[in-house]
Amino acid sequence: MNSRERILGAIEHRAPDRVPLDLGSTSVSGIHVSCVAALREYYGIANGPVKVHEPYQMLGWIDEDLREILGVDAQAMFPHKTMFGHSTLNGWKEWRMPDGLEVLVPADFNVTIGEDGVIYMHPQGDLNAPPSARMPNDGYFFDAIIRQPPLDEANLKVEDNLEEYGPIADETVAYIASASAQARASGRAVVASLGGTALGDIAHVPAVQLKYPKGIRDVAEWYMSIASRPELIRELFERQTQIALANLARIAAAAKNSIDVVFVCGTDFGAQTGTFCSRKTFQSLWTPFYTTINEWIHANTPWKTFKHSCGSVRKFIPDFIECGFDILNPVQCSAANMEAGELKNEFGERITFWGGGIDTQKTLPFGSPGDVREETLRRCEIFSCGGGFVFNTIHNIQARTPVENIATMIDAVHEFNGTK
Amino acid sequence: MADLNALRQAVINGDHTSARRITEEALGENTDPLQIVTGCLVPAMDEVGRLFEEEEYFIPEMLLAARAMKESMELIRPRLTATGAPSSGRAVIGAAKGDLHDIGKNLVASMLEGAGFDVHDLGVDVPPEKYVEAVKTVKPHLVCISTLLTTTMPALKKTIDAIDAAGLRDSVKIMVGGAPVTQQFADEIGADGYGENARSAVQKARELTARGAA
Repeated sequence: MNSRERILGAIEHRAPDRVPLDLGSTSVSGIHVSCVAALREYYGIANGPVKVHEPYQMLGWIDEDLREILGVDAQAMFPHKTMFGHSTLNGWKEWRMPDGLEVLVPADFNVTIGEDGVIYMHPQGDLNAPPSARMPNDGYFFDAIIRQPPLDEANLKVEDNLEEYGPIADETVAYIASASAQARASGRAVVASLGGTALGDIAHVPAVQLKYPKGIRDVAEWYMSIASRPELIRELFERQTQIALANLARIAAAAKNSIDVVFVCGTDFGAQTGTFCSRKTFQSLWTPFYTTINEWIHANTPWKTFKHSCGSVRKFIPDFIECGFDILNPVQCSAANMEAGELKNEFGERITFWGGGIDTQKTLPFGSPGDVREETLRRCEIFSCGGGFVFNTIHNIQARTPVENIATMIDAVHEFNGTK
Repeated sequence: MADLNALRQAVINGDHTSARRITEEALGENTDPLQIVTGCLVPAMDEVGRLFEEEEYFIPEMLLAARAMKESMELIRPRLTATGAPSSGRAVIGAAKGDLHDIGKNLVASMLEGAGFDVHDLGVDVPPEKYVEAVKTVKPHLVCISTLLTTTMPALKKTIDAIDAAGLRDSVKIMVGGAPVTQQFADEIGADGYGENARSAVQKARELTARGAA
């Protein structure tokens, strides 16, 4: 059984030969660049600065040599534009993080430094455009700067929030086809981030890649709009879905058989103790469009669909299943009512848990290696029965996580699998 | 005559336009500003908290109600200051050094304000020395520090330690919160309280200030 078969087996709930492992296949299942650098050092393969393929969360690219050592079964196909609109095809340059770590960033990654040492990111690398994000002078991640133009309630237009969506360029389709085919050759399951299908993902709302965004761009304003302007949100999602399906059709025509899993949407519906909105709101605003997207993908491609939502979302899992999602990530077992065994018993036969492997808010960054090993083994035991499980940390591994703990987690997965 | 029941309902419904209009009417009629706060805004936000607890309200509805309450408060505050009316207590709030996330912090600030606290918001990425300075100048009963990131969790302890080192620890109660924060962590770093959400933060704030307010 190769890596691809192992992951597909898990998603199809045929117990694979061992628990498959993902680290780095999406922007929500990756590793902070500082931890990738530390892992390369730890395993004795450090050979220069690590690429930051996703500069918003400063996620590090995991090269083939590290993938081999970690034993990952999934391979990423990322877009050639970053969250900030930098191309990853124009070369890379060195950049120094606030803590002194040298990393590689896309050539058109351009920042300015404020008087207080805060690092300001400019959209598309254009220093003439106002910054769209910032990193504190001792920070590890960027966060959006809210650029909310005044809203004229009587004249709100969905088009203003659709500027970043539209027909994809031929060169993008060609890139996806080529990059997916290259990823397919690895023998791993190809996880593609195609863009366009994230409905209301709060990370995308501020549109940090746009120079002068229009429409609803303030995070709080967006959340309020869900309750105060549902018709506008519904129309926006409808239009966005139409655009996305047309784009997916072109991508499928070029790359259908090179992709195994597609990251559909990262909209978070859960906080630590409950859901962001009511189930009724979810069913009214999201269900119709998620269903349309999943039905199209399943009718026209062999792709499995991947839904990310942090937090306490147990009440929404039946809806995610009903909408046709195959995979749920990151399965935040530390949130309220998200106990691993209960989730597996209740939903384990109907959806694949891609995550839930270990807590990245507590155990992995702050626990002892013994705590890490114990939690990793326990979660593998609970989730792996009958397939339906891809081991992944609960969201990205955060900066300052001790490398010994990450290595212990990897060892524990292989110990469970009998492959150590 | 301004309908204060309608103001209360406007806040609960998140109708900021009506909340502002009725507040303007009430103040225009020389209604006691403290009466509007204690008889109207505080009960309204209590009801919003209850609806959140009952899972009838969620984040969007809470934010809408908080905005309506804040718009009303903006009109009332100058009158309150002029009359020297008492508040439930003074609170200083901010996101920890290195953390830029403020949705949760802002919601807690609004809910505290809605509970009658005089809230001084220091913003985001607030260094420990700025909290110390605020404790000296504002003389709050309560300091609230939030973080969303695991990388900035140590800044919560550093802030508490800085307040302690300045000899001010006994003068304030300190609350912490944010996604990765737990009661256990709050205990470990010597905080007096922890709120797992905006509603419980207000309850804890009331409890702490009732016990310890000067």
